[in-house]
Amino acid sequence: MKKIGIFDSGVDTPEEIILAAGFTPYRLFGDPEIEPDKANEHIPPTHCLWTRNLLELAIKGLNSDIVGIITTHGCDRTNREFDIWIECVNVDFMYFLNSPRKLDSAALKFFIDDLNELIIQLEEHFRIKITKELLRESIKKMNIIRKLLREISKYRKQMILSGSEFHEIVKKVQISNKDDAIALLKVKQEELRERQPFSKKNYKKILLTGSDLDDTEFIRFIESLGFQVIIDDLGVGTKYFWDNVDETGDPIEKIAKYHINKPIHSTKFPSYKRFEVLSRLATDYKVDGVINIAQKFCEPVLYDHPYLKKKFKELEIPYLFVEVTYNRESYKQLSTRFSAFAEII
Amino acid sequence: MSKVEKTHNKMLNATQGLKNIMGRHFLAIEQAYRDGKPTAWATSGSPVEMLYAMDVQPMLPENSATVSAAQKFSQKFIEIAESQGFSYDLCSYFKTNIGAVESNAGMIEGGTRKPTFMLSTDVICDTHVNWFQVQAERMNVPHFTIDVPHVVSNTNNRQLNYFKKYISEQLYELVDFMEEVTGHEYNEEKARKVSENSWNLSMVWQDIYELRKNVPCPISTRDTFGGLFPLFCMPGLKAPIKLYKRMYKEAKERVDNGIGALEKEEFRLMFEGIPFWYNLKYFSKLEKYGAIIVYEPYTYAFSKYMNPNVTKEMVLNKPIEAMSELMMSFWYVYDLETRIKKFAETVKDWKIDGVLLHENMSCRPNSCGLYDLKKHLMEDYDIPCLVINADMNDPRKLNEVQVSNQIESFIEILRQRKKK
Repeated sequence: MKKIGIFDSGVDTPEEIILAAGFTPYRLFGDPEIEPDKANEHIPPTHCLWTRNLLELAIKGLNSDIVGIITTHGCDRTNREFDIWIECVNVDFMYFLNSPRKLDSAALKFFIDDLNELIIQLEEHFRIKITKELLRESIKKMNIIRKLLREISKYRKQMILSGSEFHEIVKKVQISNKDDAIALLKVKQEELRERQPFSKKNYKKILLTGSDLDDTEFIRFIESLGFQVIIDDLGVGTKYFWDNVDETGDPIEKIAKYHINKPIHSTKFPSYKRFEVLSRLATDYKVDGVINIAQKFCEPVLYDHPYLKKKFKELEIPYLFVEVTYNRESYKQLSTRFSAFAEII
Repeated sequence: MSKVEKTHNKMLNATQGLKNIMGRHFLAIEQAYRDGKPTAWATSGSPVEMLYAMDVQPMLPENSATVSAAQKFSQKFIEIAESQGFSYDLCSYFKTNIGAVESNAGMIEGGTRKPTFMLSTDVICDTHVNWFQVQAERMNVPHFTIDVPHVVSNTNNRQLNYFKKYISEQLYELVDFMEEVTGHEYNEEKARKVSENSWNLSMVWQDIYELRKNVPCPISTRDTFGGLFPLFCMPGLKAPIKLYKRMYKEAKERVDNGIGALEKEEFRLMFEGIPFWYNLKYFSKLEKYGAIIVYEPYTYAFSKYMNPNVTKEMVLNKPIEAMSELMMSFWYVYDLETRIKKFAETVKDWKIDGVLLHENMSCRPNSCGLYDLKKHLMEDYDIPCLVINADMNDPRKLNEVQVSNQIESFIEILRQRKKK
């Protein structure tokens, strides 16, 4: 099946529309083992390394099944780099989805307009028809996936499923044919029902937040230092399956509402609202600490850090902020900071 | 005549009046506090005219941050912000403001007082919204933000229509917000008057820019970098219009007498980006090469009425609709395709020999796309370009020797081209 690539620093791209158009949504991930040499010819070195990495891969050649790309508004990077993608990535269909920064009724109306425009452009470009019925079916399919992921996610808290294994599962779902994804998740769910907690070792239970992280190796690296990510608010994580889309009424309106109402990324306004979700998760999951990761140059997360630090201090929940370079070689340099945090908590 | 000739390598006499105009702005702020009048912080790109129309005194912390830099305080303030956990990589305007507020700096040092409310928009960057969110929370004041959809190279007219509708709706919400916070009512007649002043101010500024097309160019960045500020802070007032008219008149005299801002103009340059406010003298050093900057998209951009769809009649009669349209078509945030086209046209019209592109570490939205802009200008239009790395407000990020060497080599390239 042909795919539509998704360049999205959050998870605000409505996969239901892509499915209803007859394509597989395929979220674009980076490769932290390559250098963005070609991308550096387009984007300055003081800009987000993760987005430069994505551009590098796209310039070198995307998966041959990808027939279009949707870039969804997140931070200034997604906004400004979209034009560069038009310049140097060889894909015919390119759409910039203006997922709104605000979360009020005017923003909702605008988002609905922009989703409808996406549908018009998909229909015109690929000569297809995206019906409400197809959208409703897609919503049902995505809701099954969301529900399965929510259930599987709980095994992290019970120390039956490691944070890294779960991260890998979510990534897989975000690039797979959704029927395959449902089958995969059902098998995994069955397996987990039988699985025993993986260790008696005294892991530090962590809530992971910050920039979206797509390198599972990074989660494994954290685990190797004595942590377990039992909950998160990331795009390759709970933000992807937080709730279900309402299956009644107008499907586009309900998809838009779902995205407006789900936990937000630092790119939204007011981003401080994130703390409401984070503090609730930290308390409900009784975590030992919170780790906030900022990809190098990730401005929205960098702005939020001092506020989160202050708020978690008020709650007396240990909090660690780390800037990470999207490059596996650099992870080792962070060992001391993580280890020190593990000892403190 | 000799009186005019003496103006070589100096700013216009009229530009000296800028100090008085800005002094008035600062006095108006003081007066507002004395009188208990509502005040607002506003980011650049936000509709400052609407504040004046609602009898709210605007304050622009970006303007204040440049004052800090010019007074050599910015580094100290930036380091205070960094000591509070704000990254080295974040915007230096923002950090200057954090440090200035933390230090209770006076206006002369770039300090800004606690406002009644804050108004931001993401039309230029995310930072504006994040910045005011940080400060609104710290100061415990209400904050209204305007979310402006991003126009990209393949945005179509159908999209522009609902983008505009979304912005308009927010501007009407802004009126409601201001009425609630200040108790003032929106007055259409006052809005019309403010809009007219804003339009007139911008038109004179654009006329001044037209004069810069002349060879030799009558005006240098000595006049435009500072001269920009009324467009930021005072759009809607009459006083700066008079100043701009005086600047225009004097520049026109220079043109009529064939006199340039530079004694011997050899190279005409364009400067893209925000200048180094802590080292404005740096730009005067170009003069030793016979080079003059004759166009800065940054200082031109703020004469906002450049969209042909926005007529004076529309500005006067439908100010909110006009503002919604303008917020999507701002020079500083043009999509890459439009940016390349506008640069090429400008180079031709202003007879520019080369383009300096400031890869500003504090303004990633502006520096994004700079490499492709350079590539297209050089390859498609044969326009020499040079990218220089620095920062608008953080002196630690300017390597003066390195940039000077780059510029020297660039000028040499321009010289060789002229010989051909």
